[in-house]
Amino acid sequence: MEQARQEKTTAVKGTDTAREIRGLVKNIYKSAHEAKAGGRKIAYFMVASQYDEIVRAMDVVPLPTENYAGLCAAKRDMDRFLLKAEADGYSQVLCSYARIGLGFDAMRQELGQIPEASPDGGMPAPDMMLGSSAVCDPRFKWYQAARRYLDVPTFGMDVVFPPPQADLNEVRDYYIRYQRDQFQGLVDFLEVQTGKKMDYEKLWECIRLGDKAWQLWYDIDRLRVAIPCPMPSQDHFSIMVPGHYYAGTQVAVDFYQKLYDEVKYKADNKIGVVADEKYRILYGGGLPPWHTLWIFNYFESFGAVFVIENVYRGFDPVEVPSHVQDPIDYLAWRAFLRYTAYHDKARANSGIPTVEKLLEMIEDYNIDGVVFHACRSCRATTIGQVHMKNELGKYSDLPMIQLVSDMVDLRDYSEAQWKAQIGAFIEALQARERD
Amino acid sequence: MSRMRQIEDIYNRRGEHARKLHEAGEKVIGYFCCFVPDEIITALGMVPYRIQGSQSEPIDEADVLLEPMACPFARSCFNMALKGEYEFLDGFVVPHSCDTVERLYHIWHTNKPSPFNHLINVPHMLGPSSDEFFKNELLYFTKRLEEFAGRKLEVEKLKEAIRLYNRRRALLRELYGLRRESPPRISGVEITKTLVAGMGIPAAEHIDLISGLIEEVKKRPVVPPDGLPRIFLWGNEIDDISFINLVEECGAHVVMDDLCTGSRFFWQDVEETEDPFDGLVRRYLDIHCPRTLKPQAGAREEDLENRFGYIHSFMKEWQAAAAIFYIVRYCDTCELEGPDLKEYLNGLDLPVLMIEDDYSTSTMGQLRTRIQAFLEMII
Amino acid sequence: MPFAGIDIGSTMTKVVIVDDEGKILASHIGPTGAEHRHLALKVMDETLKEARLSLDELDFIVATGYGRINVPFADRQITEITCHARGIRALFPEAKIIIDIGGQDSKGIKLDAQGKVANFVMNDKCAAGTGRFLEVIAETLGIRLEDMGGISLGADGFVQISNMCTVFAEHEVTSRLAEGAGVPEIVAGLHEAIAGRVVNMTRHLGIEKEVVVTGGGAKNIGLLKAIEGKVGFEVLTPPEPFITGALGAALVGMDFYDRGVRPAKERKKEDVTFFS
Repeated sequence: MEQARQEKTTAVKGTDTAREIRGLVKNIYKSAHEAKAGGRKIAYFMVASQYDEIVRAMDVVPLPTENYAGLCAAKRDMDRFLLKAEADGYSQVLCSYARIGLGFDAMRQELGQIPEASPDGGMPAPDMMLGSSAVCDPRFKWYQAARRYLDVPTFGMDVVFPPPQADLNEVRDYYIRYQRDQFQGLVDFLEVQTGKKMDYEKLWECIRLGDKAWQLWYDIDRLRVAIPCPMPSQDHFSIMVPGHYYAGTQVAVDFYQKLYDEVKYKADNKIGVVADEKYRILYGGGLPPWHTLWIFNYFESFGAVFVIENVYRGFDPVEVPSHVQDPIDYLAWRAFLRYTAYHDKARANSGIPTVEKLLEMIEDYNIDGVVFHACRSCRATTIGQVHMKNELGKYSDLPMIQLVSDMVDLRDYSEAQWKAQIGAFIEALQARERD
Repeated sequence: MSRMRQIEDIYNRRGEHARKLHEAGEKVIGYFCCFVPDEIITALGMVPYRIQGSQSEPIDEADVLLEPMACPFARSCFNMALKGEYEFLDGFVVPHSCDTVERLYHIWHTNKPSPFNHLINVPHMLGPSSDEFFKNELLYFTKRLEEFAGRKLEVEKLKEAIRLYNRRRALLRELYGLRRESPPRISGVEITKTLVAGMGIPAAEHIDLISGLIEEVKKRPVVPPDGLPRIFLWGNEIDDISFINLVEECGAHVVMDDLCTGSRFFWQDVEETEDPFDGLVRRYLDIHCPRTLKPQAGAREEDLENRFGYIHSFMKEWQAAAAIFYIVRYCDTCELEGPDLKEYLNGLDLPVLMIEDDYSTSTMGQLRTRIQAFLEMII
Repeated sequence: MPFAGIDIGSTMTKVVIVDDEGKILASHIGPTGAEHRHLALKVMDETLKEARLSLDELDFIVATGYGRINVPFADRQITEITCHARGIRALFPEAKIIIDIGGQDSKGIKLDAQGKVANFVMNDKCAAGTGRFLEVIAETLGIRLEDMGGISLGADGFVQISNMCTVFAEHEVTSRLAEGAGVPEIVAGLHEAIAGRVVNMTRHLGIEKEVVVTGGGAKNIGLLKAIEGKVGFEVLTPPEPFITGALGAALVGMDFYDRGVRPAKERKKEDVTFFS
């Protein structure tokens, strides 16, 4: 019998609309269960792989395994899955999302059913798995490893973009061509799996909905330049759900429209997140500490509000040339333009696209300080963060800190240490304010 | 001096030869991993240099610029660069083999740029579109390198370079052939020194050393079989003898490997195609590395056989009774691949010891017990 | 035809002498200290005295443990994995899984049907899951390591210790004390934490009965209860958990001898006096 400490670990949100996300998340898994029961195809799916609209157009229901891991962490029910994966030979330093996912699959296989009391009803066994190389390597290796527990058709799609030093005019054509071929490969695979042909008109429709949702999301974030800030980062980590898990559907558009209206109202009426917004903080990067999102409220107790972040809304809307008529070509162009949006600026200035983006944010959003979060098991979003901070520091003298834990594995988190670091950071902000 | 002694000299003073070449005006192009075609660099009259780390030097300066939870091999290399040990590199070329090395490229390039710096994207997926993409990436790389070299790449020179490196590969395969005997005619430690020595010198010189070494080894007195376990080594970067030395000291022979510093980087030849770039693309993309996703081939068992059948063949031909996996910590691709390979080998009744280590000689003591216990277990 | 096993651990050196049927004739435990060669011989001498034998009368000597490579008079050095397995197999023929919780490391060993080592796992990279973890926290709490088992039995539930890093856990314990948590509940929580760590490590091998817990951890009744809670059944413990490694080493020596292996040369006793 355990005497656990009673402590709030989830965050209080700034907007009302954000509260609807809980229902949307539950629905992701509910839809998957319903699809399975109704004979529709469900697929393990990686967030931010640029392939969302293709999956939607083929009427395949996505099961986002990374989101599920985050959900387990938010509900503090991830230990059994982590431990199972480790017992099965997966290293403790491996991406904790992958460990949770593999542990869950292992338990589901062993038990012959979904593990008892799994958050939101758990994940039903998928008909296929769609990995991608976007963002990091585990995102295609994980599903290959998961075949140990789920012997289903598995596909890996490459996502590529040139380094900032490349001459875009020289490489653009073949990068887009490769990306196009990779998308086509996914379409071919899904056609075989579903036994249906791709309806390209439907794909266009999904793309238009996807673009509309992301345009609205961008508009919402532009509203956050207002002082006081009408929507804090902890909301962002919730409201990213439609953009990433419902892209290509009307649900995402409707949600962001509603959120836009609320945030606009707040911005117009100068309704902030806390009574006294003293410091405007930029969440510079890194996956959020899903296990303790409450930390944002802790910052707020000092008057520090996180007004914008460089995480889930990774791309501003781009303009694909009008001569692009084919939807697959369009997706390839869109991916390329999204990934190279800051390349020119980088070449002219710091050499690093993300630094350029952060500098823009610092200026547009009137930022007073920057906080980074390094996740011990996520090399993709963590390696290079210190470098980013160093380089950013050459162009901005704002106080900056890097908090370290993991996105889901609680064993890497030390609240005492964080509070100490945050205390010092607040003091630095206060000192600047005085000067 | 015997060839083995010459090799040991180069192994112990790595970088020195390349430094001298650089000082003499030659262009030394440093690179990581197995995906950068040495042939292109050589054909443009420059010297390829595979960057290594240092297992005995602690990592200090790198930690200020690069997170500690990254591949310690990569960090070690970077640490050496920050300490000025890679000043002789005229070029710094990194293939996008894995997340860490790609990010390291940007950090290294900002802090310790060479006169020529380039990142080559390597497809993670295989297929006709990947071939085309990689070919374009290699052509683009060549173009940039030509600008730096101040000369155009001649097709004949490239074909010549391909033949040169194929010759080296054939000799290394021959050398490995001497490990099939019982006991192996050359130890795992000596092989490691030979391979690492070759990373920092021009291919022609390495060919000379290996040819001579093969003759020397063949002249060694024949030793009767000793019954010690024959081990196959799988993993990533081993550019220091300490681990293999430990295994052999514990009472075993390391007879064959699939390491990126071992057979992985030289086993297949480049086919001499009409357009040499086609041969290069095929050969370099087909390298068996966990960072490349082999398209699924049927159900689980079939798929595992397709992915790892070559390892089973190696183990059979070299009569290895067991495998040790040596994975440098934080290598996501190996850590996700390892359990699958273990399952495959265990399914063939081949025992496996999976070790995750920190790329440092200081952990050897802890490893000794594991390795010895494993050897005691399999006899 | 007596055989001897010497287990040089990080803190203690253990010697066991057995007869030609594997029955224990004598055993002795002494501190290891920094000069293990010198002290190894000292503990050996004490055991020989007890058995009324001289070093030369021993037909085979096997050294094991962390300091095994520094025993000049040993005929073979064998890892503690093989030796613990051999020792436990002799004491518990039905043993399938062995969990050894030592001062500086912990191990899980799986035995096959013949009682040979089929697989093993080790945690020797950090203190969590070892006696050292408890030692550090015992100091923080101001109690004795050997009393921890008893203290935890009187606990009403347990305080969850979520940090497995010894340093972080120390902080956590201090915070909990400040918040008013009781010492028995904290100690029970520590036992839960170690048991969790060690059992999870062992799950890698596939846990099945009988499970034998040995090493210093086996003397901690609270830790044993926590382990039983995690595996779901009772575990066995040897009457003298500290000497199973040395016993196993002696039996391994007996096995070598029975297979016809003989000590290679004169035992090097002389080298050792160099360190006095």
